[in-house]
Amino acid sequence: MTNKTPILSGDADRRTILKGALAGAAIIASPAVLRAQTPTVKVGILQPVTGALAQDGGFGRLGAEIALKEINDAGGIKSLSGAKLEMVFADARSNPEAATQEVEKLNGEGVAAIVGGFASPICLAASQAASRYDLPYIVDVGVSDQIVNRGLKNTFRLGPGFGTVTTAAVTNLVKLNEAAGKPAKTVVLVHEDGLFGSGLAKLMATELPKHGFEVLETIAHPTPSRDMSNVALRIRALNPDLVIPSSYYGEFVLLARTMQQQRIRPKGIYAVLNGAASNFRFVKEFPDAAENVMDCNHWHDPRKAKSAAVMKAAADAGSVWAYNIPLNYSCVKLLADAVEKAASRDRAKIIEALTNSTFEDHIMPYGPTKFVNGQNTGAGPVNTQVQGGDIKVIFPESFANAKPVFPVRA
Amino acid sequence: MLLRHPPFALLIGILTVLAGLPLLGLPNTALNFLFFVLVIALAGQGWNLAGGYGGQFSFGHAAFFGVGAYTTAILQVRYGVNAWLGFGAGIALGSFVGFVIGSLSFRAGLRGSYFALVTLAFAEVLRILANAAPITGGAAGILIKLDVAPANFQFASRAVFFWIALALVGAVLILNRMIEQRRFGAYLVAIRENEAAARALGVNVLAVKLQAISLSAAITAAAGALYAQYFLYLDAAIAFGPWISVEALLAAIIGGAGTVLGPLLGAGLLHGLGEITKLAAGRVPGIDLVVYGIVLILVVAFAPRGVIGLFTKGDKGGEPTSHG
Repeated sequence: MTNKTPILSGDADRRTILKGALAGAAIIASPAVLRAQTPTVKVGILQPVTGALAQDGGFGRLGAEIALKEINDAGGIKSLSGAKLEMVFADARSNPEAATQEVEKLNGEGVAAIVGGFASPICLAASQAASRYDLPYIVDVGVSDQIVNRGLKNTFRLGPGFGTVTTAAVTNLVKLNEAAGKPAKTVVLVHEDGLFGSGLAKLMATELPKHGFEVLETIAHPTPSRDMSNVALRIRALNPDLVIPSSYYGEFVLLARTMQQQRIRPKGIYAVLNGAASNFRFVKEFPDAAENVMDCNHWHDPRKAKSAAVMKAAADAGSVWAYNIPLNYSCVKLLADAVEKAASRDRAKIIEALTNSTFEDHIMPYGPTKFVNGQNTGAGPVNTQVQGGDIKVIFPESFANAKPVFPVRA
Repeated sequence: MLLRHPPFALLIGILTVLAGLPLLGLPNTALNFLFFVLVIALAGQGWNLAGGYGGQFSFGHAAFFGVGAYTTAILQVRYGVNAWLGFGAGIALGSFVGFVIGSLSFRAGLRGSYFALVTLAFAEVLRILANAAPITGGAAGILIKLDVAPANFQFASRAVFFWIALALVGAVLILNRMIEQRRFGAYLVAIRENEAAARALGVNVLAVKLQAISLSAAITAAAGALYAQYFLYLDAAIAFGPWISVEALLAAIIGGAGTVLGPLLGAGLLHGLGEITKLAAGRVPGIDLVVYGIVLILVVAFAPRGVIGLFTKGDKGGEPTSHG
C-alpha cells in the first residue's frame, strides 16, 4: 500500500480492493484487540453538536476530551489497574428527544456514567432517562434549578444553579457600584424571552429597587433575533446608567455592536449568564464592542496551575476559550475521581462515590465538592470584564486578576 | 389500491405485527425510537385528516399538540388531577381549541395559504403566552414529577408506552378508514377538490370543516399529551414550537397526504432512514439530518403524491371508495 491509493484509481482490480478491505478490517479490528488486554471504562459524553447549540456543544466536547486525554496519559484509573477512560460521544442535537434517544444508546453501549447536556431542557430529559438505569449523570452547565430539585439519585451538578448565580450577580453589582461611589442609579434590562433571560429579568426587577436602583424598562426579545436596532434606539432614548443584558451569543453580539455603532455608551454593561460576554470569539471578532463589558458567569479559577495547561490544550486544538471547556474538563475529572474511589465500573458504587465526593482537583473556583441533593453547594459564578482584548476576573477579590473599570464613560 | 385504501384486515395485520415488535426483545434504544416515531405519526394523522383529506393546510398544528401536552401537565402538577383524566382532558381541550381556531378562520373565509398563515400565527401566539404565563411555568417550563406507577401514566417499561402509542395510532388508522367509507369522508374530499362546487351540491361546508378540524386537533393533542407523559418536561418551544407543526405535516405529505397509512409511513421513513444511517455511519454528527433532508428532496422531486402515491399510479388522491 505504499504506491498511490490504488483503491481510488480507475484500474483497481479485485485483488487490490480485497487487499484494501483486509487492511481496513485489520485497522478496525485492532482496537478491539487492545481493549481485550486492558478493559476500559466507557464514559458517555453528551453534547449538542448539531442544531442551534452546536457551538456550545463543541466547546463542551473539547473540555471533556482534554480531561480524558490527561487522565489516560497519567495512567488511567489506578484502582482499576490502570484502566483507560474511553469516550463514547453522543450528539444531543439541541433537543430533549434526541438527547433521550442518545442516553438509551449510551446505556446500551454500557457506559459507566454520562457527562454533559449543556442546555437545561436537555439536562432535564437526559438525566431522567439515565435515572431509569441508575446511570450516573453529571450536568455540565444546565442552570435550571429544577434539575437538582427532583430527587433523582443519579444526577449531580458541579456548577452553580440559576438561583445562586442571580443572587451573586445582584450582590456583586451592588458592591461594584458602591466601591465606585454609586455612579449608577438607572438600569435598563434587556433579556431573551427563554429560561435565563425571563427569570433573570424578573429577579432583577424585584431585587434592584431594594438597593436603590431604578429600573427604567425591561425589554424582551426572542431568540433568534436578526436586528437589535429598535432595542438599541430604546436604550438611547432612556439613557440609563447601566444596561443589564441576558441573551445568547448571537443576540448579545448584535446588541453590543449596534450600541457601539450608534455611540450609545452607558456607564456599564453588566451581563449575567451571557452567551457572549465571556467568550473569546466575541472579544477577538469585535474588540471595540466587547471592551469593558462585564459578565457574571461560570469561569475557571486563574490561580490554579492546571488552568493554564487546559487553556493551552484548548488553544492547541484550535479553539477559543469559553466557560464550557473548564466546566466539562472539571466534570470529567470529578467523574474519574469518583470511579477511582469506587474502584469499580458499577454504577451504584460510582453514584455513592459521587455523593460522598470531596474532589478538589478541578479548575473551577469552588473548593472541594460537597453534594447536597446532587447540587455542589460550594459552586458559584465569578464576575469577568473584557479589558484590553482579554477577559479578566474582577470579582471575587480573592482571586481577581484585574481591577474593575467602572464607570466606563469618562 | 391496496395501499391507498387498505382493507381493515390489512390494517389489523400491520398493527399486530407492530405490536409484536417489543416481544422480539428489542433493546430500549429501538423502543424509544419507535415510540417517538409513533408520536410523530399520531400528530401527522391529526394533520392528515384536515390537511390531507379536507385540503385545509395548517402550519400550526403545534397549537393543538401544545394544548394537549400542557393541559395534562398542568392538571397533574398544579391541580393534582389523575394523569389519565388529565390525558383525556388534554385531548378534549385540544379539540376545543381546534374548534375555536377553525370557527374564527373558516367563518372569516380564510382558505389556502391564508389559512396556513393564520394557524401559524395562532401557534406562535400560544407559544409566546405559554412562555410568559406563570401557570405554564413560564420560560422555565413545567416538570411532571417522576413517579413510576401505572396509575400515574408512567411505566418502567418502554414497551408499555409503545403499545399505548400504537393503540392510539391504530385507533386513528381505523377511524380514518371508516371516515373514508362514509359521507363525511366524501364531503371532505369534495371540499378539498372544489369548495364552491361542494357547497353548490348541498354540502354544509362550514360544519364539515369544523368537524374535521376539531377531530384533527383532538388527534394531534393526543400526541402532545403522550409526549408530556413520556418525557415529563415541557417548555414553550417544545410544546408550541414550529418543529412539531413541520413534523406533523411532513410525515403526512411524505407518506401520502389524504391516505390512511401515509402519516405512519412518512414518520417511519423520515426518522427511520436517519436512524439507520446513524447506526451504519457511526458517530458522524448530523448524518441523520443529512439523510432526512435527502429523503425530503427525493420525495418532493419524484413522488409529489407521497410514497404511497408511487405505488398507486393513476389513482386520484384520496377518493372515497364506492362504499361512500
